[in-house]
Amino acid sequence: METLNFLMQGFDVATRPTNLLVALFGAFVGTVVGLLPGLGPINGVALLLPLAFALGLPPETALILLAAVYLGCEYGGRISAILLNVPGDAAAVMTTLDGYPLARQGKAGIALSLSAVSSFVGSIIATCGVVLFAPLLAKWAVAFGPAEYFVLMIFAIACLGGMVGDKPVKTLMAALMGLALATVGVDSTTGVYRFTFGSVSLSDGIQFVIVVIGFFSVSEILLMLEKTHSGQKAVKASGRLLFNFKEFCLTFWTMVRSAVAGFVIGTLPGAGATIASAMTYMSEKRMAGDKGRFGDGDLRGLAAPEAANNASACGSLIPMLTLGVPGSGTTAVMIGALTLYNITPGPLLFEQQPDVVWGLIASLFIGNVILLIMNIPLVGLFSRMLSVPNWVLVPTITVISMVGVYSVHSTVFDLVLMVGLGVFGYLLRKLDFPLSALILGFVLGEMMEDNLRRALSISNGELGILYGSPITLALWALTVAMLAMPGLRWYLKRRRGNAVEAQA
Amino acid sequence: MYVRVFAAVWLLACAGLALLAWGFEAPFAYDPVGPRAYPLLLLFLMACGAAWLLFKPHGEPTPAFDRAKAQRAVLCVLALLAYALLFEILGFVISTALAGFALGLLFNGRLWPSVISGALLGVLLYGLFDYLLDVPLPLGLLRLLES
Repeated sequence: METLNFLMQGFDVATRPTNLLVALFGAFVGTVVGLLPGLGPINGVALLLPLAFALGLPPETALILLAAVYLGCEYGGRISAILLNVPGDAAAVMTTLDGYPLARQGKAGIALSLSAVSSFVGSIIATCGVVLFAPLLAKWAVAFGPAEYFVLMIFAIACLGGMVGDKPVKTLMAALMGLALATVGVDSTTGVYRFTFGSVSLSDGIQFVIVVIGFFSVSEILLMLEKTHSGQKAVKASGRLLFNFKEFCLTFWTMVRSAVAGFVIGTLPGAGATIASAMTYMSEKRMAGDKGRFGDGDLRGLAAPEAANNASACGSLIPMLTLGVPGSGTTAVMIGALTLYNITPGPLLFEQQPDVVWGLIASLFIGNVILLIMNIPLVGLFSRMLSVPNWVLVPTITVISMVGVYSVHSTVFDLVLMVGLGVFGYLLRKLDFPLSALILGFVLGEMMEDNLRRALSISNGELGILYGSPITLALWALTVAMLAMPGLRWYLKRRRGNAVEAQA
Repeated sequence: MYVRVFAAVWLLACAGLALLAWGFEAPFAYDPVGPRAYPLLLLFLMACGAAWLLFKPHGEPTPAFDRAKAQRAVLCVLALLAYALLFEILGFVISTALAGFALGLLFNGRLWPSVISGALLGVLLYGLFDYLLDVPLPLGLLRLLES
């Protein structure tokens, strides 16, 4: 009952005219950013974050804006996946598998509308999950002390290594780089300058906005330089524009199942939408068996990843709001946004800033409705944006990135640092290091060190406090399990490989 | 191959940074850990990872070095750096117009469309940010016109 009251309070916040306007704007921008190949939710949130800050938006409005962009990207990613066979963001890779064949069979309109509805169902189910579980978890999380937090963050990083799968060492390295970048600047407890190389501009640490924009926008520009694929024709959306009742019934349970699975995966710290959509696609394919036409235009193969990636986007807000530990790269950026406002996300957020939390949750419902309404009739407009040529798009992204970084401190040093980090990020991406792990590490860095040192201050330097309580022990066990996953998978694969060989 | 080179460089960087980090001493002990242990721990773990990659660089076989691509990437980085450095000196409008033009050409735009899109970007975005959104941007050279 209490939750319902808070939710009503949240709707009060979210339906204020400015917040509605901001949600509408964010949904639109998010869809556009999501559908442009190469630009994903992190880019969208990173580009708008400095703007929101410079405009002096109150924290709840800024967060609503960013959440709307985040959701919008998950909606937008499918448009280019279906019409162009190019995923608009990483999570939409699975959507191309069945979406593009459908479009080529002249069912683009059906695919687009059905995937919009799947996205909607996924988000709404997951948002209900947030409403139900977030307050519970927040209450429980109050019991977390510094030692528990420290171990929780280690668990989050281990999750990344365990779930991203094929390159655990590189993922962990990237996370460590992020943690190390966060140590630059004055040490908050002792005032010692660390890794500043005598530069005044670095004494404050590296600004979060610079890291995000450098690593994601600038490196993206350099990557786009390589694939100047031009003249790829988008499939024209023709034929029936809306799916019929039978098609909806066929996919309904797929949507629900995928939404629940996506939500659960999203709540795990570190594991994001990409994994959720891949896992649900695979399990739906297995469930359909031989009757499914997965891979050449099965509607269920379209509905499953779309419902799952939206659900996991919403689910990843849970660890962010209740524990202050991001569930995905994009929520890591949102945590950075909150810290710009001097709000520390964590269990106390629910008590101290109910407007922010519940306003955000309520705005998820509103944002989804806006996106659904926007996405069915306006799909023609959005798909036309796919034809914006790179020689207009890239300069625009560049300028907005520069303005975003410049608006924080107004120094040229920051701009140069951004370009430098961008080049570094480009090299890392060429070498196959996942940058979202790096951002996660960077956001967690300061909290992690603070909590470690606070815990050890409490115990007077005794390391036992790090594995003294049942919570820490459980978290350590989970961490070990996560770290063992890649090895286990490798072992199973090899054994299966041997079995096949033995049969042959 | 590239991963190995990177891992070697990173290993050296870790060693260098560790030497630097060794000097972080607080004049007075505020907490039992101090400012030195945590960065050293991170550097040590990173060095372990780099050493692992040095001996087992997995992933796809390295693609051949593409001269033309690399050249374009270097040009793009130079354009971005020049843009960053000239941002305050030339002012937002002029530097943006130039950068928009250069990047437009680099991304296979034709000459005149790139000129026009660069100029439009400079003027329109200045209007958008400075007047509508209240984000102050440097005027640079154009300030001379004002006085």
